Amino acid sequence: MTGGRPVALVGGATTRFGVRAATWSQLVQEAGARLFAAIPNLAASDVDSLFVGAAEPERFAFQSHVAPLAAELLGLEPHRIVQRTELACASGQSAIRSAYAAISAGLSDVAVALGVEKMNLPSMAEANTSMACVMDRPWDGAHGATAPPFFAMVAQRHMLEHGTTEDQLAAVSEKNHRFANSNPDAQFHEKSFSREKLLRLPLIAPPLRLGDCSSMTDGAAAVLLVSGELARKYTDTPAWIRGSGQHASWHNLANAGSLTEWTGMRIAAREALGSAGITVDQLDFAELHDCFTISEIVEYEALGLCDPGKGGAYVADGRSDLGGDIVVNPRGGLLGCGHPLGATGVAQAVEVYRQFTHTVPPARQVPDPEWALVHNLSGSANVHSMMVYARGG
Amino acid sequence: MPAVAVAKRRAKKRAPKRAEAALPKIELRAEPTAPPPKKPATLTLLDFFPQEESQQTRVARFFTELRAGRFMTTRCAKDKKLLWPPRVTCPQCHTEELEWVELPQRGHLYAFSALLAGAPLGMEDELPITVGLVDLEGAPLRLFGRLVGAPWNEIRVGERVRVEPYDLPDGRVFYRFHVESRSVEKPT
Repeated sequence: MTGGRPVALVGGATTRFGVRAATWSQLVQEAGARLFAAIPNLAASDVDSLFVGAAEPERFAFQSHVAPLAAELLGLEPHRIVQRTELACASGQSAIRSAYAAISAGLSDVAVALGVEKMNLPSMAEANTSMACVMDRPWDGAHGATAPPFFAMVAQRHMLEHGTTEDQLAAVSEKNHRFANSNPDAQFHEKSFSREKLLRLPLIAPPLRLGDCSSMTDGAAAVLLVSGELARKYTDTPAWIRGSGQHASWHNLANAGSLTEWTGMRIAAREALGSAGITVDQLDFAELHDCFTISEIVEYEALGLCDPGKGGAYVADGRSDLGGDIVVNPRGGLLGCGHPLGATGVAQAVEVYRQFTHTVPPARQVPDPEWALVHNLSGSANVHSMMVYARGG
Repeated sequence: MPAVAVAKRRAKKRAPKRAEAALPKIELRAEPTAPPPKKPATLTLLDFFPQEESQQTRVARFFTELRAGRFMTTRCAKDKKLLWPPRVTCPQCHTEELEWVELPQRGHLYAFSALLAGAPLGMEDELPITVGLVDLEGAPLRLFGRLVGAPWNEIRVGERVRVEPYDLPDGRVFYRFHVESRSVEKPT
């Protein structure tokens, strides 16, 4: 249960995502400039706390101690809490969750949560090395485990146990890339992918093809979180954080159990929806962590949108699309926007705010949304992080 | 005269007219014959593989046994929980009383894939990198590892594999799974 002070998300912004001719620090600067532009009433001196979600700046940018660096770049002098949050692919949501906890507890009133990752390096082997140390490095990573082969095994088991098809995987990618076409900050903006085209792309880790995998992306995003009584200073239309849930139980792949039943996500969802006091069918849209197409399919099932094993049919039948039961990943998802690890969770929250305030193009606007859920998995889907937002009036 | 003015006057007096004048004069000599720099005696960059020596880890025995052909892990002496990777405390009852046990070296594939592009540093020449999860026969463990002995597109779920120790270039030892035969168990 959430028992603290109400916490509002009152605005946010992202940089353009993609293979960017910009350094880690420059991405942070862009996100900061866009945040201040998006919230005209925000003064740097208002901000008492800064949380920086960054997964691997030590490897991608050879830089530690990044929270004070980001504070300097944004012209902030936090005097309550300043810290980095790291949870691999969920580092951005961790920044928001930490800001939420601090404000809810009364330790902060005005906090910036910023997420960033610079993943495209002169040597992509260097970047792939960073991805391989997310797993249990000496015992799993040493075998050459990066994310694609792991999620490929999830897909293989899902196909074996439930008859899921490559065409159903492609349906996820087609939907999310179509939404990304209406998102000018997306890595794959103005790129169309038919299912037929997706099924002809090269294999990366069989059965997963290029179009089944989110990419290595540079980008940053930032949101402003404030205590409830300060919300109206910044916006007439705050988004309220109503629920939160998170689960972790294992790390080495030997302790994973079933690859296709993400029980940790079920537990996190029960906690998140329960603390918000709603059921899954009350959600209007969800930002689910589609690092791979198969992830989104398993997530439908773990969230309780459909029965176990039926996630492939769920997307193929259009039930997670505009006009369906719930809109999943209207932002364009990780597949369409790219996945700068630390920035993703923050960019998803920006989408929630924009959907609630009807400031996205009509092609991806969810009709009159009131409830939204944001989910990130991290590592080998061994951690699930979720937040539930309600539209304010 | 005030101290500041004195300092200024002295500074002016000492300043060379041109920057080059401040450089010391060097006489040409024979090139020095210094010994070549010594190579660092120890590995200075971390890599993927475990640190295996007894000065570095409390589970060095895993590696010495592996070198001798035995595949081991630790088990809780109290509640008999089998632990992987080898631990030094039991995460279930939190005792430090663990015992070494030998594991079966045969198993069958629960799932597998192959990385066809995007290898980490030092593994670029190893593409495609075939990996899988192996259910050990007779032990409640499903281990992840590299698969060798057959191309990825000829392997099937249920395939029998065996543990294969192998030497790393720097003298350390590690393990992988070798695809053993064409006999396939019914997928579970």
